[in-house]
Amino acid sequence: MKKKSYRIVTALLLISILLLSACAGGGSEKASGSKSDDGKKELTFMFRGGEAEEEAYGKAIDKFEEENPGVTVKMIVTAADQYATKLKASITGNQVPDVFYIEPGTVRSYVHSNVLLDLTEYVENNENINLDNIWKFGVDTYRFDGETQGKGSIYAMPKDVGPFSLGYNKTMFEEAGLELPDKDTPMTWDEFIKANQALTKDTDGDGKIDQYGTGFNVNWVLQPFVWSNGGDFLDETQTKVTVDTPEFAEALQWFADHQNVYEITPSIEDAQTLDTYQRWMQGQLAFFPVAPWDLATFDTELDFEYDVIPYPAGKTGESAAWIGSLGIAVGQNTEHPDLATELVYYLTASEEGQQALSDARIQIPNLKDMAAEWAADDTMAPENKEEYLQIVEEYGHALPANNTYNAEWYDYFFTNVQPVLDGDKTAAEYVKEIQPKMQEFLDNARQLEEQAK
Amino acid sequence: METAKVEVNKNLQPNVDASKNSKRVKKKKSNFYKKESRAALIFILSPLIGYLIFTLYPFLFSIYASFTAWNGLGSMNFVGIDNYVKLFTDDYFGRSLFNTLFMMVGIPIGLLVSLMLAMGLNRKIPGTTTFRVIYYIPVISSLAAISVLWQWAYNGDYGLVNQFLSVIGIDGPNWLQNKDTVKPALMIMAIWKGLGFSMLLYLAALQSVPRIYYEAAELDGANAFQRFKNITWPMVKPVTFFLVITNIIGGAQMFTEVNIMTPTGGPEYSSATVVFYIWQKAFNNLQMGYASTMSVVLGLIIFIVTLIQFKLNDRSSFEID
Repeated sequence: MKKKSYRIVTALLLISILLLSACAGGGSEKASGSKSDDGKKELTFMFRGGEAEEEAYGKAIDKFEEENPGVTVKMIVTAADQYATKLKASITGNQVPDVFYIEPGTVRSYVHSNVLLDLTEYVENNENINLDNIWKFGVDTYRFDGETQGKGSIYAMPKDVGPFSLGYNKTMFEEAGLELPDKDTPMTWDEFIKANQALTKDTDGDGKIDQYGTGFNVNWVLQPFVWSNGGDFLDETQTKVTVDTPEFAEALQWFADHQNVYEITPSIEDAQTLDTYQRWMQGQLAFFPVAPWDLATFDTELDFEYDVIPYPAGKTGESAAWIGSLGIAVGQNTEHPDLATELVYYLTASEEGQQALSDARIQIPNLKDMAAEWAADDTMAPENKEEYLQIVEEYGHALPANNTYNAEWYDYFFTNVQPVLDGDKTAAEYVKEIQPKMQEFLDNARQLEEQAK
Repeated sequence: METAKVEVNKNLQPNVDASKNSKRVKKKKSNFYKKESRAALIFILSPLIGYLIFTLYPFLFSIYASFTAWNGLGSMNFVGIDNYVKLFTDDYFGRSLFNTLFMMVGIPIGLLVSLMLAMGLNRKIPGTTTFRVIYYIPVISSLAAISVLWQWAYNGDYGLVNQFLSVIGIDGPNWLQNKDTVKPALMIMAIWKGLGFSMLLYLAALQSVPRIYYEAAELDGANAFQRFKNITWPMVKPVTFFLVITNIIGGAQMFTEVNIMTPTGGPEYSSATVVFYIWQKAFNNLQMGYASTMSVVLGLIIFIVTLIQFKLNDRSSFEID
């Protein structure tokens, strides 16, 4: 008897789950953010990130709820690697959250598919928002006029701007008696190699090298060298793949030579990002990229001093770096567009929100005046935080695939680059061979975009 | 929602009482049967509805989607067989299909090892229960957690695998970063993960083999290998057949470990499986329509392979009475 009633309960449960899901499907025209019975309004905010972000946003949201009585915000946090899938699924299922993160590379497709609410009017009419005090790069990343990204209507506000700068181990330089790199004038490539070679050595005398110059991950550090050497991935119209230029090939070859010719990195077998990150943390590397989101960790985990400098400059003599970003957008079918856009303001441009994020040390404040204070605060390493602001305002680039419909053409380059890094193929051969295929992917992406319009 | 629950309750509750009284009150029997069949209907309904909503509808939908250009967000445009034509010239599809097939080489190896383990654990030696538990732990662990663990084990510098190899004097490669070792690395993990499950089924099959066969064979002077070949192997054949089929279907759908251990599909796309490629196309590269085409083709391949296996099995099957 017991068994039977257990089965009945199970069956009931199953049925109710099925019916529930059927209801969820049926009520799909009505987007989320529904009014509950007692007249209270609820907004959903979907994002990804760690506890620090959740806590900081909690503060901004508290303030928002205080100013807007009767409105509650429901936070939906996902793991970083599941966010894109989850958001796509909710869009396909007509359950778009009211407010959510978007990546710059998805702006084109989301706008064409009418997923995003145009925020321009709201942003321009809101007296609390001073666009002059927010990074231009950040806002422009989410502008789109239907043809060119960077112009036209604003479809999201920047959650952050993430300049990817270069750090060096100050303690290691001092111990070796080397002159510290200048924080304003970038090194030339030759100077960079010389410094690295001087620091790649066996420190404990067991015949094995245990201190290296560097160990960059090609996915994240090739771009600055290409740009500063006068090359690029795309031409100005963003329609032609230009990786087959001599400047590009030279930069890629130089990157591969770090390992194969100059021998300033851990050997081929060991060249895994995870490892080089660990090595940097353990003080085995002289140079390593340092981004704003690393600062809190490095502050507590590193037992050496470090600082940031511009990337070494190639032929052009100018340093280059990329700036990452995430945006916060509003779903087009939200029931409460005014409240949702107001929430975006609290999350991206209000002083409370930015102060909380800045205190958590996970990003540069979006507000320029606050960022200047942040950079001048010398209680927190690195000393030259000013470099980050210079990247954002002066010499930073967007990542190459940010402004194309999809990133297949770009990923193809990195998926197949290994033989060059291993020294089995020259960079010149590789770029010549890969360009037509990348172009094909890019043309395909443009064709897909036409179909989606 | 609420009303549905109450209704079901009303229907079911009297049955419980009725079953107590059914013997005594003969007249009510037909009514009881009616009610019982209604209850049975509800039991059948739940998996049926589940099948319709979560299997059949998506299945038919993806067949339709496979003939469209669709980015997964906006409207679908019918393009006929364009996607299918494109499939034939798609370099990545070829590579990922090859990778998937290559990694299936691990299936017979895994079955062989688990059969041997099962035979070992089938003897009356102390500690067999402990070993069964040890081999079964990977089966009940989350695949994602296992993938993360093995990612560390395969690490070129600090990984357990290479540390072990260095003890016996071999300088191990950086398993997941080398296009020649990444597939074997994933295979080894899959074998390890599946070992416990196959072993358990084999163990159950072995224990149901009547002792008398072995005794008779021994009396006739058959040696250990002959006993294995002529008694054990044929007797566990249905289990082997079941395991081969489920393993091939599972192998064709390999995704999680690839996605976690080599998030970009490995150097030169050397570890990307078909499902991984489908997922990338659908969710990263805005080609849900084309991804559906690949899913349909993959489904067809699995169907055909399974059909062939059933035919082969029919031909070589036999009955013992």
